[in-house]
Amino acid sequence: MAAAKTRTSTFSRNLSTAPPSHGPGLKCGPNGTVFLSSGIPDLDKILGGGFPLGSLVMVMEDAEAPHHMLLLRNFMAQGLVLGQHLLYSSPARDPRGFLGTLPSPAASKDDKSRERDPDQEKGLRIAWQYKKYFGENQLDGQRDGKHEYSNEFDLRKPLERHFINGPRIDCVSIQDSDLSTLRDRCATFLSQFPRNDGSISCAGRIAIQSFCAPQCAYSNMEWDMLSFIRSLKSMVRSSNSVAIVTFPPSLLSPSFCKRWQHMADTLLSVKAIQDEDKELAQLLTGYQDMVGFLNVHKVARINTQVY
Amino acid sequence: MAESIYRALRDGALEGELAPALTIKDSVASPFALQVFSHVISQLFSSILAGKSQSRGLVVVSFSRSPSFYLDLLKNKGTDVASSNKQIQILDCYSDPLGWKDQLAGSRNFTALSNEAMVSSNAIVFREVKHMDKLYNSIIELGKDQISSIFWLLHSDLHEARVTAVLEYLSSIVASLEPSHQLANGQRGDLENFSLIKHNSKKGKFHVRFKKRNGRVRVMSEEVHIEQSGINFASLPSEGAINQGLVPKVQFSLQLSEKERIDKANVVLPFEHQGNGKPIQIYDGRRSLVDSKHERPVSAVENVQTNENCGSGEIIYYRDSDDEMPDSDEDPDDDLDI
Repeated sequence: MAAAKTRTSTFSRNLSTAPPSHGPGLKCGPNGTVFLSSGIPDLDKILGGGFPLGSLVMVMEDAEAPHHMLLLRNFMAQGLVLGQHLLYSSPARDPRGFLGTLPSPAASKDDKSRERDPDQEKGLRIAWQYKKYFGENQLDGQRDGKHEYSNEFDLRKPLERHFINGPRIDCVSIQDSDLSTLRDRCATFLSQFPRNDGSISCAGRIAIQSFCAPQCAYSNMEWDMLSFIRSLKSMVRSSNSVAIVTFPPSLLSPSFCKRWQHMADTLLSVKAIQDEDKELAQLLTGYQDMVGFLNVHKVARINTQVY
Repeated sequence: MAESIYRALRDGALEGELAPALTIKDSVASPFALQVFSHVISQLFSSILAGKSQSRGLVVVSFSRSPSFYLDLLKNKGTDVASSNKQIQILDCYSDPLGWKDQLAGSRNFTALSNEAMVSSNAIVFREVKHMDKLYNSIIELGKDQISSIFWLLHSDLHEARVTAVLEYLSSIVASLEPSHQLANGQRGDLENFSLIKHNSKKGKFHVRFKKRNGRVRVMSEEVHIEQSGINFASLPSEGAINQGLVPKVQFSLQLSEKERIDKANVVLPFEHQGNGKPIQIYDGRRSLVDSKHERPVSAVENVQTNENCGSGEIIYYRDSDDEMPDSDEDPDDDLDI
């Protein structure tokens, strides 16, 4: 076993053709899924690579805090920086105003964190039988490929104007329009990225903010909103894009809240932190810098048999 | 803490942000929202008159009390209402909200009672409460300028949960009144409950949640006493909860001494050096046989490796323990690799 090439698993695939190369911002994952970055590299890691193409991500907002806006900002800015198309809709009269608050990619720090010897982790040494299978994975694709897939964003700096003024962004206000208009806009947007077996040239992102906000005229029509989400999910599934929908669950009746949660492929929720909570400050280090919690309730299970 | 509410409303909206919106809500168990509401109004109005607040006028939309109630309230607090005509406007949705008196006057000989002589020039009667657009427009007209802050009173028992949730979603400060002592259900005749009910009619708990700009929520609580002269806020007595420290006290020490730390660093762990590219040797307790034992599995693997990239799939199995005679006892240390 001297010069054994370390394998990641005991099976090796019969690959007759080379895997198709994809456009920027897309990453191949296991089981033939292709991932799209959420704009937050740590969240990508937690989710196993990012958001899979064709999935519907739903974010449950907290009525007391605007943290879902942070998720949306990073998601949208990531798409714009990589040249992906974006459709954004919000209950505000002028959704374009929100684009001015998108963050710009942070200046890249040096990779010193990557060179940390895994054996020197903070004094905790782990003896693990299967460690030999993992030596390879941590090093490849992490350095140069990093900025082609995901970036860290600096919320203090606004995104450069040429990204925002490009032709790839479409904004819809859902305050006065009704659901069929929104559905048609989504359909025309998604028709640009049909899914077929070849390589993917570009991907699209849809971001719908505060879908059942009380300012919207249809916010009382719960069945109609549910059927919109159903049709959005099916449209997204057959295209090369990812849709994020955020909604405040306290404004829905409990049964519809559950139905919406079941509709999601990936379900996240954000929650505010109480200020000056002494117990929480003792439990969590870095409490002073934290503003909220992010919970991952469900992760997309497309193309997999794992339950 | 009622002070903080007052200050938030008084300071009003910052540049480029939405105006602060306060919800005051109560329920049957602790129905003091009107007193709190009156307290806030009188404080705010006196600061408007003194010129200390961002807003220059007050518009009151009264549904459940007549305008004279508010005017008397302000007079009792010492503010001179008569001379401050321009600064307070009352939209009277109390006297005739649905326009019934007009309809009655028109249909037969009906002389309207002349209570309406009491209405001062400050109050404008509004008769079409059903038309929300018109109500909204009248309020905006009375206000004339931009809105600096807004607050409303809500009886949570009278509305569906969804309506209360929507109003809480829209407001930036939520103040709720709760009874000091929760009554046990269904035991009305109990002596103990009578005294609790009596307590609850005079005081309650006042909880406020502020939504801050950085996304955190500030929660404050106070005790509220209702007296003849008005309402008093006092800080909540601490409840003496058993505060267990988060780190439990144990009988053994969890810290390491210096010598222990050095020794710990010197321990060689079984699989630690794997993945370094060196050949992996399985410790099988019999060092002299190590070399010969390895040849068998290594040669088996080697042939296969040359065919690796031909495109045929294969399975390679690395035995964990090196020599496993079928009839030997399984020694769990067989796969330790030091």
